[in-house]
Amino acid sequence: MLLLQLLINGLQLGAIYALTAVGFALIFGSTRIFHVAHGAAFTIAAYLFWWSFSKLQWHWLPALLLASAAVIAFGVAMERWIYRPIQRHEGAFFTVFIAAFGMQIVVQNAVGTVFGRGFETVSVALSRAVPIATGLYVAPVALVAIGAALVCFVALAWFLTRTQVGTGLRALSDNPDLVRVFGLDPTRLSQVAFALGSALVVPGAALTAVTQGINPNIGAHIMLISLAATIVGGIGSLTGAACGGLLLGLAESLALWKLDAQWSEGVTFVILFVFIIFRPAGFLGRPLGTK
Amino acid sequence: MLAYLTNLAVLISINAILAVTLNFVLGYAGIFSMAHAVFFGVGAYTAAVVAIKLGGGLLLATGAGMAVAALISLALALPALRVRGEYFVAASLGLQMLAITVFSEWKAFTGGIGGITNIPPARLFGFEFATPAQYLVLTLLCLAAVLAIVRLLVRGSFGRSLKAIRDNETAAATYGKNVAVVKTIAVAVSSSLAAVAGSLYAFYMSFVNVESFVLDTSVLLIAMVVIGGVATLTGPIVGTMLILLLPAALSYLPGLPSTEIGSIQQIVYGAAMVLLMIFRPGGVWSLRRGQGQTR
Amino acid sequence: MSSPAQILLETHGLTVSFGGLKAVDNVSLALRAGIVTTLVGPNGAGKTTLFNLITGHLAPHAGDVRWLGRSIRGLPHWRIARDGIGRTFQDLKLFDHMSVLENVLAVTERGAWLWQTGGKAGATERLLRAESALEAVGLVDRRLMRALDLAYAERKFLSVARLLASGARLWLLDEPASGLDPRSYERFLSLLRSQVKRGSTICIIEHNLDIVHGISDRIVFLDQGRVLAEGEPKSILSDPNLAAIYFGERAA
Repeated sequence: MLLLQLLINGLQLGAIYALTAVGFALIFGSTRIFHVAHGAAFTIAAYLFWWSFSKLQWHWLPALLLASAAVIAFGVAMERWIYRPIQRHEGAFFTVFIAAFGMQIVVQNAVGTVFGRGFETVSVALSRAVPIATGLYVAPVALVAIGAALVCFVALAWFLTRTQVGTGLRALSDNPDLVRVFGLDPTRLSQVAFALGSALVVPGAALTAVTQGINPNIGAHIMLISLAATIVGGIGSLTGAACGGLLLGLAESLALWKLDAQWSEGVTFVILFVFIIFRPAGFLGRPLGTK
Repeated sequence: MLAYLTNLAVLISINAILAVTLNFVLGYAGIFSMAHAVFFGVGAYTAAVVAIKLGGGLLLATGAGMAVAALISLALALPALRVRGEYFVAASLGLQMLAITVFSEWKAFTGGIGGITNIPPARLFGFEFATPAQYLVLTLLCLAAVLAIVRLLVRGSFGRSLKAIRDNETAAATYGKNVAVVKTIAVAVSSSLAAVAGSLYAFYMSFVNVESFVLDTSVLLIAMVVIGGVATLTGPIVGTMLILLLPAALSYLPGLPSTEIGSIQQIVYGAAMVLLMIFRPGGVWSLRRGQGQTR
Repeated sequence: MSSPAQILLETHGLTVSFGGLKAVDNVSLALRAGIVTTLVGPNGAGKTTLFNLITGHLAPHAGDVRWLGRSIRGLPHWRIARDGIGRTFQDLKLFDHMSVLENVLAVTERGAWLWQTGGKAGATERLLRAESALEAVGLVDRRLMRALDLAYAERKFLSVARLLASGARLWLLDEPASGLDPRSYERFLSLLRSQVKRGSTICIIEHNLDIVHGISDRIVFLDQGRVLAEGEPKSILSDPNLAAIYFGERAA
């Protein structure tokens, strides 16, 4: 029974990780920008949701919309005001990474200063676990998490394959010039990538606030997982990133079956190492080997 | 006041060693290590254990720390360097997080969360370093030694190999550089020299615990290197001073609640990193020179 | 006709495909000492990919590459470089933040360890080699300048200097002359000629047909990864079928 419980928890966690990882993979895959400030977006979304829903007692829908608007603004602003100027000069991996990283530090501490450094949770009826069988407690929020992830992925897949902008996004990383031929603007598409990728953190952020609780460090933690998921799933594959996120969520939860809680995070990194050593391409990706 | 300044100077020297050695891989080779604090910690813990359990002096403790750090760095470098930079970031991040767990849980070696206390003072050829002033001399000498080693390597053929790999890895490989081996050696050198700082830290504080070797520390070190100036010998030292003197400077500003100083310090250097990358990727130290300098 | 010169590099049935598309398809050719071969063909014909296969940056799916009689297939690229195969890139790939002298010196320092073998004498020999390479391309005055700050033609010559200093016997040049003014172009040609006289072999990828005329001893025409024709410049360049393919009027 414990195993089944851990499995369900793992699916819930995995759904959250998958959503955030796909957001990161979408941005990196389309624009080739190593946007490690993605974790900062998660922090912003989580805290704005918590604050407006829990503190200001808004209805969850406007709370989500507020979080989404802020996060989209953040992503687009990063692209417009930070990444684009850098890429005009030399745009080396180093420079982009450090800038994103610096932003992550700023946001994490600003959030801590403004909202407090403690651990916050949102308790709703959904998050109260309901006994389904002896020893098996499932909170309806787990189903919400899995459902939300599925809905988002289906919508994203439709967007990327059936719309012109979506197709442009997929073409952007391989061939920016080709994109121009189709009458699309690579700069605009980058902004769309950032907006969309950042927006994908919102469901995960809200769910985390409701289930595990949040603190200002959550962004860094999520960023690590997204990075690991992207690599495990395969750089260049959104499906891979989603699977990677799911796998890591399951692994982290199932690890509790045999290991202490402190080591369960270590499991994530052991998996990451194993993939880097034996299969850098991940499940579904193209390996970025040294050329 | 003098005691305060001496203490600050010792900590600046120790951190400067870390910044200079991180710059060796980050600035000169373009290798992104998020795990530099791990080797700092490994050096500290090893030195502490050697001093307490084996009664070893400064040389033995530091030597052991360097060896262990180099070994662990190989474990990180060998797989991760075969593939591109993004992978190394992820792998080093993973190593850092794993190390925190190991440092906290492996009670036999690291004393768990409580850490190791009562580390005896450093002994060198019978002389015991007891006062902060003596440690200041010791750390400054070590900083000078590390700088000399790094300078020697960087100005010579190895430095050219590193810079070639940093500037254009494909071309470096095309012209005969065994990129993987060069990078691995660079990481091993950087890590073992970082362990020197760890050993000094353990003896000076006579106490080590995991709190000094967490991700925030690795991040702080990156900030020192980046803000001070990559690929210069003095840049990291400038960066170290700026960042470590910042809390002291901030405490003089009226109206800042002391509980927030840590946060504000981080916001300041986070913002500095962002702004520098947009306007002056060469770091603060590059501001004093004109454009067109080789690095 | 005198007896054919020694074969330095040969490829046998070299093939590589990406996602079902054969980028290089069963290519067999021989590069002989003292001969300048030019690879021509429309865009996407697989010329740069062929270079990548020879230098070891890409692994073939079938076929073999033999250098000085030994197979080099599967060897790491740095080993192949040290054996005497050198190459320039279309986008130059200079070490931008290093000085001109450092760019060339770095190429002479092959060892991966913290210091090079050979001691002081070795270091002096390498420095001399670097300086003479710079002299040959006329960049000695610029030796302390940052590579990034050089003029375009100077950057092209620096990339050739690196090749010179490496002591490579096989020169693979990827569009070396594009963008050069006539005077620089003449200097470049005489550099190639003196290199060829020393027994090296040169293989150039080039689009500019005038350049092809001026320097080539042999032309290999590639299209869609396959060798369509090879022979003397006069006959290849006057073939109307090949011209049509080259200018895109008709697929092979």
